[in-house]
Amino acid sequence: MTSAVQSLRDAAWQMYEQAGLPTLRSEDWKYTDLAKMKAALGEEWWKPAEIDSASLIDLAEMERLAIPTLDAYRLLFVDGRFHESLSHKPAGIEILPLAEAIRENADLAGELLRVDETSPTYTGLVAANSALAADGACVRIKAGIVLDKPLLIQHVAGRPGAAHICHGLWLGERSEAHVIEHYCGVGETARLTHAVTRVYLEAAAVLRHDRLQMEQPHHYHLGRLEVTQQRDSSFESHSIALGAALSRVDLSVLLAGQGASCRLNGLYLIGGRQHADHHTRIEHAAPYCTSREHYRGVIDERAHGVFNGKVIVNKGAIKTDSAQSNANLLLSKFAEVDAKPELTIDNDDVKAAHGCTVGQLDKRQLFYLKSRGLSEVDARQVLTFAFADEVLASLKLPAVRRFVERAAFARLPHSDGLEEMLA
Amino acid sequence: MLKIENLHAAVDGKEILKGINLEVRPGEVHAIMGPNGSGKSTLSNVIAGRDGYTVTKGGISWNGNDLLAMAPEERAWAGVFLAFQYPVEIPGVNNVYLLKAGVNAKRKAQGLPELDAMDFMQLVREKAKLVELDPAFLSRGVNEGFSGGEKKRNEIFQMAVLDPKLAILDETDSGLDIDALRVVASGVNKLRNAERSIVMVTHYQRLLDYIEPDVVHVLADGKILKTGDKHLALELEKRGYDWVRAEAAGGATA
Repeated sequence: MTSAVQSLRDAAWQMYEQAGLPTLRSEDWKYTDLAKMKAALGEEWWKPAEIDSASLIDLAEMERLAIPTLDAYRLLFVDGRFHESLSHKPAGIEILPLAEAIRENADLAGELLRVDETSPTYTGLVAANSALAADGACVRIKAGIVLDKPLLIQHVAGRPGAAHICHGLWLGERSEAHVIEHYCGVGETARLTHAVTRVYLEAAAVLRHDRLQMEQPHHYHLGRLEVTQQRDSSFESHSIALGAALSRVDLSVLLAGQGASCRLNGLYLIGGRQHADHHTRIEHAAPYCTSREHYRGVIDERAHGVFNGKVIVNKGAIKTDSAQSNANLLLSKFAEVDAKPELTIDNDDVKAAHGCTVGQLDKRQLFYLKSRGLSEVDARQVLTFAFADEVLASLKLPAVRRFVERAAFARLPHSDGLEEMLA
Repeated sequence: MLKIENLHAAVDGKEILKGINLEVRPGEVHAIMGPNGSGKSTLSNVIAGRDGYTVTKGGISWNGNDLLAMAPEERAWAGVFLAFQYPVEIPGVNNVYLLKAGVNAKRKAQGLPELDAMDFMQLVREKAKLVELDPAFLSRGVNEGFSGGEKKRNEIFQMAVLDPKLAILDETDSGLDIDALRVVASGVNKLRNAERSIVMVTHYQRLLDYIEPDVVHVLADGKILKTGDKHLALELEKRGYDWVRAEAAGGATA
């Protein structure tokens, strides 16, 4: 490791030690209690999984975890470590594993791991990730390049311990790509995935980004996606949370250049005692930017969903056009959601709309379906699925859409044969 | 056969139906007419099994079975169909998917094999023609963005596909212009047959110009006050409902 990176990592670790984990006393963390994670993972929650030479998973297992029929490039990470041999890198694109950058390219590693303590979204977790991230993908797409196939960054988790990962995606002017981050795993033991992705979009770059969190029931997932957008760039995101005992995803977008636009879609579909928290932050820092946000939650049994959508419109960001909606469906009387839009608008020349709903299945719709012959269970299932599918319908890749739909569908109680509604 | 005996039903503790007696035999078309608030829609909803209605006395039997003991979907499987006065929009649930699930649930309840996709689509296309439903509507969300007339047309289309033995048409004519009314009525007429019973609940005589009933009942204040043939409907159109009420009151005191 170069000494420059080493000292950056040491400094980051000190920052973490000073800040500690966010607690319920912090406004942005008051619904998500990381003490539970600590109780499950131990005081040294951050301790990386021990990687031995024996491969955790075999090829047959990989097949089972794959997204069927998806034709994509693939970067495979197992417990946070890049697996070159099972990866398929696109030609003509600069891709460097972070582990290598840390050893050999101090500038790149430094750019990605630098910690900004003054950032409004800074927490001890950010510092911990920079101090501990052992690997990740540094992907640089040059100006004008349009990636011909989606790039799948697949994370398979299984060993006890923590995997700290940090990815960087740099898209040059007018370049275009579709990136899928898929988090999945095997095994029954408690463990943590702690993944940060930093995205930089130059002028007129276009990025579609699907983040699929489908971790195992005893897994913990802390995710972060930071996006900085230059002039006329466009970012479309889907953030799906189906798995993990506890998950938290912080998504922040800085619309830094005039005419940039972002569209953030999200779905959390949880049951049991799952906890899923989505905090989003969109900052309009330039004129003529557009932001759209559409998150939905389906919460069953004793699960707890959290949605917080901040939209900040700075003084100079005239002609801002922003709309946000969040709808939640509670399927049990013990299900819980804390949903909050937060708009801070510092100028008058702005169009901003937001709406937030929490409700149960519509009785009139249920009766209508039953009067046509659907059983109570199927009618509920159909309506619940239709509610969730409003978000999934905008997934651009049919293979990804089908994959997520099937996974979501499997989570809901239903009769045999109803799957054909997905056809 | 549908047999309603001394049916009393309440909504929110308020008695709306106060002793309905009605028999509808296979092949018959009955019209139930009455002023607003007479209990027409309550009767439709009680037959279909909607929540929120409490039957306090009397009962309904359908082909000898206790209809009120059946869940709404069991009633559907037993051949009961309600064409809603206000069909609800269900975004994200495909119109054809709903019908396929409905048809196959019914077949399963009857111990029949499910229809295969090809046979089902053929059935759907054939029935769509019956009510001149634009095939584009088939793949849309149930009633999603449909006009009032399109919703009513969709109800009759669903009736055609589900092939019920008892169809309750609740104010099917309301909100239809004359052209749409003709199309819907002609669809219903094509669905008349010797096995099917149809009960039309309506405020206006207009629908009966196009679908000729075998029997006309006047429902007011939660009771059937008078029963006659199609000429009764014409008389109601001319004279309103008050004379029926007066006659019934007179009869009661006499």
